[in-house]
Amino acid sequence: MPIHKLRRWGVVLASLGVLGTLVLHALVFFWVPTEASQGIIQRIFYIHVPAAIVAFLAFGIVAVSGALYLWLGDERLDQAALCAAEGGMVFTTAVLLTGPLWGKIAWGTYWTWEPRLTLTLLLWFIYLGYFLVRASTENPERGKRFSAVVGIVGALDIPLIHVSVLWFRSMHPGPVVFKTSGPSLAAPMSVTLGVGFLSMLLVFLGVFAFRYALETARRAAELRARANA
Amino acid sequence: MSYVRQVYAIVWKDLLLELRTKERIAAMGAFAVLAGVLFNYATDQTIVRPQDVAAGLIWMTLVFGGLLGIGRTFHLEAQDGAFQGVLTSPAPKDAVFLGKTLANFVLLFIVSLLVVGVFMLFFRLELGSNPGMLVLTLALGSLGFVALGTLFAAVSSGTHMGETLLPILVFPLLVPMIIYGVTATSRLFADRPLAEISGNLRMLGAFAVLGVAAGSLLFRYVVED
Repeated sequence: MPIHKLRRWGVVLASLGVLGTLVLHALVFFWVPTEASQGIIQRIFYIHVPAAIVAFLAFGIVAVSGALYLWLGDERLDQAALCAAEGGMVFTTAVLLTGPLWGKIAWGTYWTWEPRLTLTLLLWFIYLGYFLVRASTENPERGKRFSAVVGIVGALDIPLIHVSVLWFRSMHPGPVVFKTSGPSLAAPMSVTLGVGFLSMLLVFLGVFAFRYALETARRAAELRARANA
Repeated sequence: MSYVRQVYAIVWKDLLLELRTKERIAAMGAFAVLAGVLFNYATDQTIVRPQDVAAGLIWMTLVFGGLLGIGRTFHLEAQDGAFQGVLTSPAPKDAVFLGKTLANFVLLFIVSLLVVGVFMLFFRLELGSNPGMLVLTLALGSLGFVALGTLFAAVSSGTHMGETLLPILVFPLLVPMIIYGVTATSRLFADRPLAEISGNLRMLGAFAVLGVAAGSLLFRYVVED
């Protein structure tokens, strides 16, 4: 896809996503019923959970495109991995900010060594390592390979980390949506959560497309500058 | 040369180099003993019994001291430009990785025994009735750690941040090793039944397999240029 088209798609998707996020906040504040046991604080769930899903999805893209990049050596795969990592870091930060706000009231503490908290924090640092490796290599080709390795090993280790911290000790609310017995949410809550997930996904995809177009242009400019030099 | 002989050649070369310079083993060994001294003053023994925290301190000392040595896996060879020679040798890259990892493992395993010995002495720990299991725990934990450490030492030595980058890359991945290593170690010191430890050992084994497999597969992409 040519750059200008991709950029336009990015703007369209991100705008729809932002619009959806505004609708989401309206639903969260004025429409969805208050959850019985947790009260008003549960409303942050509609922002926290979709952001977490998108963050992990982004990390999946980073690992898979990184692996494919190492295998095929296609520049575009590395670009996709980089753009997904940037988006993923933003959403991981959102998860890490909204979680403690909820935890302070629900658990009485901002931070606890709870499996999913720990995992998300570690995920944030794996992303950090990903960017640091890229930034600290003079040879960009080397940086691409190094960061792909970081992403892949992170993705391989994450299930093991998850299992370890889960068995270690857990007080995070159990899954309410993705479980074998089907979602256990009232209909308006499911709708709000759906709107939340869709809008965040749109924001992510929009920013991803825009960032991808930008990175394409940047690399093309770099090549031109090198050819002229 | 068969694959095993190629790996063995790398292991032997690295260990011989270490035997002659004694740089890394001396640094790691001294770190372990000195960390034990500092930990002695870092725990208020009127509040916590040293035995209660010893297992955690042992593993943290192993991680910090280990990174000190593992971070310099490629240092000597990079300085002399000798690593290019290793890479252009007919040995496949995963054999190079396995050789480097095994050589590091031997070093770290020696250090881990030293750490346990020193901490037992300093903190008056009683060796439980299963010293063999303790050795196995240390071996499995060290192997996974060394595999990831060697892979990322190759990464970090290719960046201009060098060894400062290594903990940022490796620490997030070490949570399983710390959890199962520390749990197994403290239970062994407390002389708990083996049934309480076997699950931890299996997970340490899984961590080691993951580290070695990931390193063998990905190392070639780190060193190719």
